[in-house]
Amino acid sequence: MTDEFSTYAEKTWCPGCGNFGIFNAFKKAIGQLGELGIGRQRIFITAGIGQHAKMFDYANVSGFYSLHGRSMATAQGVKLANPELVVLDFVGDGDAMGEGLEHLLFAAKRNADITVVMHNNGIYALTTGQRSPLSERGYKGPSTPRGSEEEPFNPITLLMEAGATFVARSYSGNIDHLAQMMVQAVLHEGFSFIDVLQVCVTFNDKYDLYNQSVEVLNALPESYDQAVALARQKDKLPIGVFYQVQKPAHHKALYGEWNPISQRLSRTQRAKKVKKLLYSP
Amino acid sequence: MKKRVFTFLVGGKAGEGVKKAGSVAAHLFASMGRQVFQMDDYQSLIRGGHNFSVISTSTGEITSHYMKANLVVALDARSYRLHQDHLVENGIMVFNSDEVEGGEGLGLPLKKEAEKYPRPELRVGVGAIAALVETLGFEKSRMHEVIKEEYPRDIENNIAYADKIYGLAKPKLGGKFSLRAGDGKLPILSGNEAIGLGAVAGGLDVYLGYPMTPSSPLLHFLAARAEDFGLTVVHPESEIAVANMAIGAAAAGARAMVGTSGGGFALMDEAFSLAGMTEIPLLCVLGSRPGPATGVPTYTEQGDLFFALNKGHGEFPRIVASPGSVKEAYYLAAEMLSLVWRFQTPGVLLTEKHLAESKMTVDFNVDEAHWSEPKIHAKGEYRRYLDTEDGISPLLFPPSKEIIKWNSYEHDEAGITTERAEIIAQMHDKRQRKSEAIRGHLKDLKTVNEYGENGVLILTYGSTTMSVLEALRAGGIEARVVQPIFLDPLPTWELERHIGRAPVVVEQSRAGQFANLLREKVGFEPRAVIKRYDGRPFDPVELAAQIKGVI
Repeated sequence: MTDEFSTYAEKTWCPGCGNFGIFNAFKKAIGQLGELGIGRQRIFITAGIGQHAKMFDYANVSGFYSLHGRSMATAQGVKLANPELVVLDFVGDGDAMGEGLEHLLFAAKRNADITVVMHNNGIYALTTGQRSPLSERGYKGPSTPRGSEEEPFNPITLLMEAGATFVARSYSGNIDHLAQMMVQAVLHEGFSFIDVLQVCVTFNDKYDLYNQSVEVLNALPESYDQAVALARQKDKLPIGVFYQVQKPAHHKALYGEWNPISQRLSRTQRAKKVKKLLYSP
Repeated sequence: MKKRVFTFLVGGKAGEGVKKAGSVAAHLFASMGRQVFQMDDYQSLIRGGHNFSVISTSTGEITSHYMKANLVVALDARSYRLHQDHLVENGIMVFNSDEVEGGEGLGLPLKKEAEKYPRPELRVGVGAIAALVETLGFEKSRMHEVIKEEYPRDIENNIAYADKIYGLAKPKLGGKFSLRAGDGKLPILSGNEAIGLGAVAGGLDVYLGYPMTPSSPLLHFLAARAEDFGLTVVHPESEIAVANMAIGAAAAGARAMVGTSGGGFALMDEAFSLAGMTEIPLLCVLGSRPGPATGVPTYTEQGDLFFALNKGHGEFPRIVASPGSVKEAYYLAAEMLSLVWRFQTPGVLLTEKHLAESKMTVDFNVDEAHWSEPKIHAKGEYRRYLDTEDGISPLLFPPSKEIIKWNSYEHDEAGITTERAEIIAQMHDKRQRKSEAIRGHLKDLKTVNEYGENGVLILTYGSTTMSVLEALRAGGIEARVVQPIFLDPLPTWELERHIGRAPVVVEQSRAGQFANLLREKVGFEPRAVIKRYDGRPFDPVELAAQIKGVI
């Protein structure tokens, strides 16, 4: 399928892969953002390495295909340099909660104004199904043939504690909901995180479980504690915004309304300032 | 008789204001129109231990401190013991008589007098300045001016304390070493400061750094002036974040630079390779200290040359250059920023603690800092990795209607991931042509410094250049010194002119990395390799003797 938001790259996700849902939700979100006055030319995407990251090749928007675990740092660099840009970072759960965890937590801590969309399939799919930091205890993969001996992180509570100012969960099987979460996350000024429950038809097929357990949250939880309790719930899997609070975004706390690129000093201005520093007492 | 060089050494515990006293002395000499070189020797701690600052000054050019001083001020017993041998003939030792019994030289109650005021530990450094001012034969009023300017906190007590020390020192020191004034009042800069200013003048927009000696002062210097210079300066969670954030900033169009030392540079390895593949302009300042591992954090070494030359997995073009003086550090920082943007590839500004943290008087033309505009896409359909004759694809930055795709995977011209054999080879060729373009471009630039006409050929680089030049002056040695500024590509076209002469190589590496590079790339067969690898920079007098020993 080609459309204005797709490139010519051949899609190599497995048939039925949850990534298709996320990709379609993203395209929908781009359209909705356009209607809200955020044109595609301002959107910049980054991606880590994994099945999720093929979003970069498939989406016909500007971006940077980064390294495994590092795209959150790349995304923050882009935003810092030009705050006019709207930066969405597509990450995998292995990518962002394993090798890239420090960048994820610090992006939340400093309230970097980027939107991190985590494709959470609970495994490493591109490297053939090893356990991820979000795999359940007992998950059997090629690196844990006797079952994973570790407990998974809870991404929602972890990110809330780290300082994220917008924390949501959605589901790859509910494209409209996911598109809506992406739009809300982009509109939120500050660090936004969306944990996307994603099925992996090949290594971790949770279609039935998700279709039974996922339910849409109709309102923002009343308190931080209630959000935490909902996020820890296992019989039902609520999707929606768990937590949202307004705090100064990192770039504004750093340099206010300045734009490092459009307001960069000229050669003459720079020389003048250097001379002043060197030669005036 | 007036000697060419006067040296002042002040030693004490960390927290006693040793470095500050050194810096005040350096500014005092500079205010006399003299040239100055200041080397701070300090340990990786905050209180206690032993620190010293040594400042050599001359009316002419001076490019190193001398370890033997005319005046030593020892603020504690350990400094007295350690620096007893660091006196020239007729040199004077001033020591803290509250800590040293007996003692040769002039004992002054630096501590007891300081204890009459609050925070005595911060006061003793002022005593060292009083002793120096007395020795130089300056009036008290001059000393008061210096104190008002340099020790503005608690001025009255500082002046009262300094007056007391000044009076006590007068009978023995008064005017003992009066120095000639020089003919130009020059600013004093450290290598780190020169790098920062050069980068700012050359277009720097974003600086990222994680604290690590000897590059932390560069982070501090730029952070303190971020607003004035229109800079974005961030200290993020790790060097990995530093390098990747810098890459993101560059992808948005900002001139980005990072600074670190060996261990932090190791953490940037993956990102360095990423910059090579994505063709991101990224400038890394690598301030070397003795390794491996944590090594000796606050000392100097040139053990990272091959590390810089071989950084990052895979094959991609890079530019590595190393300044031979603080002045050159200013120009080279701007030039390197301009080069990495012209060729869209990573570069390393390699330096060492000895240059990064030493300070000297500098005389440069601010306006001569390099500035270049990179190749920018004009119009029509955009392809980030357009295959061009010289391998350099035009740049374009968001927001843009055109799609801009930077890719860490091998990619086609549009930046979409590929595994197609012919495109893999094509992109390798494209990047290789950039290497050739860099080489071609450097042939039109000044890539080698040469000093002297006749005598033995000496090859050196980086901060060791300063030591060599001062050693030649100290020892009255005639030599031709050749210092490649660029190390990758190594300007073999310049160095080959000296082939056939067996050079003396001087460097601060146990393995003799620089000598090995010259053997491998140019075919030099050194007659001797003079190495120092104990963390300390060369002393010019000792180095002169070593050079004489091999020629």
